[in-house]
Amino acid sequence: MDRRDFLRKSVLYGAVAGLGASALGTFTPALAGLRPHITKGNFDLVAVRGSNLVAMFDRAMQEMGGMSQWVKPGQTVVVKPNIGWDVVPDRAANTNPDLVGAVVRHCLQAGASRVTVFDHTCDNWQRSYENSGIEKAARDAGARVVPGNFERNYRDISIPGAVRLTEAKVHEQILDNDVFINVPVLKHHSSTRVTIAMKNLMGIVWDRRYWHRNDLNQCIADFCLFRKPDLNIVDAMLVMTQNGPRGTSTADLVRKNSLMVSSDIVAIDAASALIFGEEPANVGHLAIAEELNIGSLDLSKLNIQRVYM
Amino acid sequence: MLLRHLRKIRIIVSLLIFGFLLLFFMNVHGRIIDPVAEFLLRLQFFPSVLRFSAIAFAVSSLGFLLILLLTFLFGRVYCSSICPLGTLQDIFIALARRFKPKKKRRFVYTSNRKFILRYSILAATLLFWFFGSLFLLNLLDPYSNFGKISVTLFQPLFTQGVNGLSGLLERLDLFFITPLLKQSLPGDVVAVSVGILGVIMTLSIWRGRLFCNSLCPVGSVLGLVSTRSLYRVAFREAACTLCGKCEKVCKAECIDSKKKTVDMSRCVSCFNCFDSCSNNGLYYENAFSGKKKAITLNTTDNLRNEKRTFLLTLAGGMMSIPLLKKLAKAQVEPGKAGMVPTGTGLPVTPPGSMSHDHFTGKCIACYLCVGACPTNVIIPSFFDYGLEGFMQPKLDYHKSFCNFDCTRCTEVCPTGAITRLDRDTKHITQIGIAKFMYESCVVTVDGTDCGACSEHCPTKAVTMVPYNGLWLPEVEPELCIGCGACEFACPTEPYKAIYVESNALHKQALPLSDDHGPRDHDKDEFPF
Repeated sequence: MDRRDFLRKSVLYGAVAGLGASALGTFTPALAGLRPHITKGNFDLVAVRGSNLVAMFDRAMQEMGGMSQWVKPGQTVVVKPNIGWDVVPDRAANTNPDLVGAVVRHCLQAGASRVTVFDHTCDNWQRSYENSGIEKAARDAGARVVPGNFERNYRDISIPGAVRLTEAKVHEQILDNDVFINVPVLKHHSSTRVTIAMKNLMGIVWDRRYWHRNDLNQCIADFCLFRKPDLNIVDAMLVMTQNGPRGTSTADLVRKNSLMVSSDIVAIDAASALIFGEEPANVGHLAIAEELNIGSLDLSKLNIQRVYM
Repeated sequence: MLLRHLRKIRIIVSLLIFGFLLLFFMNVHGRIIDPVAEFLLRLQFFPSVLRFSAIAFAVSSLGFLLILLLTFLFGRVYCSSICPLGTLQDIFIALARRFKPKKKRRFVYTSNRKFILRYSILAATLLFWFFGSLFLLNLLDPYSNFGKISVTLFQPLFTQGVNGLSGLLERLDLFFITPLLKQSLPGDVVAVSVGILGVIMTLSIWRGRLFCNSLCPVGSVLGLVSTRSLYRVAFREAACTLCGKCEKVCKAECIDSKKKTVDMSRCVSCFNCFDSCSNNGLYYENAFSGKKKAITLNTTDNLRNEKRTFLLTLAGGMMSIPLLKKLAKAQVEPGKAGMVPTGTGLPVTPPGSMSHDHFTGKCIACYLCVGACPTNVIIPSFFDYGLEGFMQPKLDYHKSFCNFDCTRCTEVCPTGAITRLDRDTKHITQIGIAKFMYESCVVTVDGTDCGACSEHCPTKAVTMVPYNGLWLPEVEPELCIGCGACEFACPTEPYKAIYVESNALHKQALPLSDDHGPRDHDKDEFPF
């Protein structure tokens, strides 16, 4: 595809997507989970292999047809990276800060009126925000960074159709912004085997203990019935393959040099699990997600763009 | 004349010192506040003495000698300017004066004889200390009480204020004020702090610096020195018109204007008297100036009495204290295995405190570490350490856990109860060991995966092993440092399925694997 072709295509796809979105109107969060499976962008999934994460992300979005497919001028965006731990970027227990910065920039370039970044951290939130480098990277890129560790910022929601997680308290930024972008990091996890896009949503609820106490894998899947992110971006550059999700040293990491972008949270998790070296069907919450029809683990039916840089 | 300005200087200096310390205790930090407050902490009398006994002959532990020297030269300047509780009392006194009718605003000289009690209290305090219990010192020390009041009463109000304001601003979509994590303080400890504040407030409003000259162990020690100080407040016979103004403003109630005497053991060097006298009838007399008349009340008789009582009490107390100690010890024996669900044994002491004995023997319970801890895992205990360690802090893993990379408490502790640790040493300092309760775990009881404990574990002492198609926690004690992340994260109720058992003597855990960097991936194609 040459440059002109690409531009023509992106305008066309953009217009179609824009019309589609306006025709369907704005979704109330409770209904969002029930909407038909819509994949925006030129591909169901774009996977990029390379050495420069930010350049890889730029390329992935270019392939997808640009951030404007998801973010319309004037819309507000919430970006949810993984900032769970008080560790430095080299340890790859949190999303790469440069990637978070790049996501924010793409949103603002697409005309977002405001981009908000937060996570409900596991370690002390201020230390995690600071030492992960994400607070600074996001602010420098033009986002505002807000706390996620205060109960007053969470609101009660109910999840129709959920098996175990019928109610939860969700952060107001998820409920009040137009576009929700999920930016997890691919890691080993002590009990769910891997933590990717679906597991990253544990950072937008207040009571995580409830999930652990009531069939963790089921709750992770249940939550996607409430709200799926509009776009998922998986950081799989440095992948923690053991001692996850916090890791104990850089020796836990393997250079997988990959990045994935997709609107389909189950597809992107399945692809990421394969990169990690785990069969998607063996990951408890992924298997349940397929059963609940949240998405498909069968990557062969998807339109995947693979890029090697 | 300089003497008349001394009072104003004292007020400014004392308010500055009070302000710096209060901000530091409120956990407000800055490039100026931190070094100044840390220097001021070194000057606190008993914390410095304790530090001297913990980290002997370090320059940082010689503050008490400086205070003794200062007292020997100019009297109890510590009490009027450096002691934050002294200034707090002055604030109460000043505020009360605004509401008191004119007649009741004045102080009246009280005889020194009534204060024999004072030295009995000091003797008892030292005796307890000698036999290993800081119970009385921690209850009476002015710096400790200032800390208790600041951290358990003022800091929560401060937090509430900041969070209220940031909450209001959040509604306007403004996020520039960062909210603070709320402390969860035990009610009994807060009640004691309220009681202490009540006593301090009542005594100061009623009788000025009565606390400093009766209950305060620092006041009593410095009182012994100040009777021999080089410069002392004295009457100028010729200039005094017996108007009695000096007596009325003396909040230590130590000036007898009729006899023209000043009881230097009680004088806190506030210099109110210099300022009150329109005739310059009082001055700072040099003890070696030669004209030493019967003008300052040297109270030889009283002092002899006091010393006798002091020694008698010391001797008498020797007999009874070991018994008390034995009684107290009996309460902190750890529970027998299997008899208690979890975590009711000895409390966990902060990293750097080396052992229970070291910690309880050096901690003055000022709660600086409680207020400074970024995760709020350090909270005041009540009787968890027994009578010996009454109200000393402990780590509570129900509401939080100790951050792996944080060494904040080891940096702020003024007494050396928590010794300084660098990050690498902290990473292998084992303050307790996690114990897994097989019969309480979500995995074994409900048959679903959980792994919250292993997830939070920073050293991977808690790992997950295959178990009937699920993953079950397993603890490697050698790797565990007792940070409590597992206990905090464990979702079971009412008892946790994993908890930390305290190390009475802190040990060393195995170091983590070397940070030798990521491995390279061999495949170049995507596996899908």
